Amino acid sequence: MLCSIKSPTERRYVIRMWIMAALCVLFSLVAAVVFRLSHPHGILAYLVGVLPALPITGALIYTGVYLAEEKDEFQRNLLVQSLLGGTGGILAVTTAWGYMEDFAHAPHLDLVWVYPLFWLFAGISYGFVRARYR
Amino acid sequence: MKNRLRVLRAERDWSQADLAERLEVSRQSVNAIETGKFDPSLPLAFKLARLFETTIEAIFSDEN
Repeated sequence: MLCSIKSPTERRYVIRMWIMAALCVLFSLVAAVVFRLSHPHGILAYLVGVLPALPITGALIYTGVYLAEEKDEFQRNLLVQSLLGGTGGILAVTTAWGYMEDFAHAPHLDLVWVYPLFWLFAGISYGFVRARYR
Repeated sequence: MKNRLRVLRAERDWSQADLAERLEVSRQSVNAIETGKFDPSLPLAFKLARLFETTIEAIFSDEN
């Protein structure tokens, strides 16, 4: 997969994102094990609970770093449009779902789904944006 | 925006990949600019003009 990426900036971004994804899985496992074995309370519970969100924050920061480092303005434009699509998609869906929870008693949507759904919408958006420039 | 990139490239017998390498951008970027689907920034337009040893106006025109 990395071999097909020609730009060093893009390659660096993909590697950083994979590292953040791996850390997210690792920290989620650590948090789950800690909560199962030692049932932390108070501030410690918050600290352990927030662990998986740290690599997620890192991934968002690295996305910003990529946009700052990428010299190819067309590629930058593709990502920005995709991220806008992802942001719009997740805002629309979570807002609509919130109203459905309030008024129609729809099942509760756990907030941990916001981040993966954001990238799902950004990915779908990327496909549409790329298709427009073919 | 219309442009003469394809003609200028053909005169030099360059592929889109050749031009992309000289501009330090992706081939997709060159294709998007060439087909008029993406308008380059002023710095990239200047870079193109320098590369083809001409002016920006000789490459790009705002006629539909």
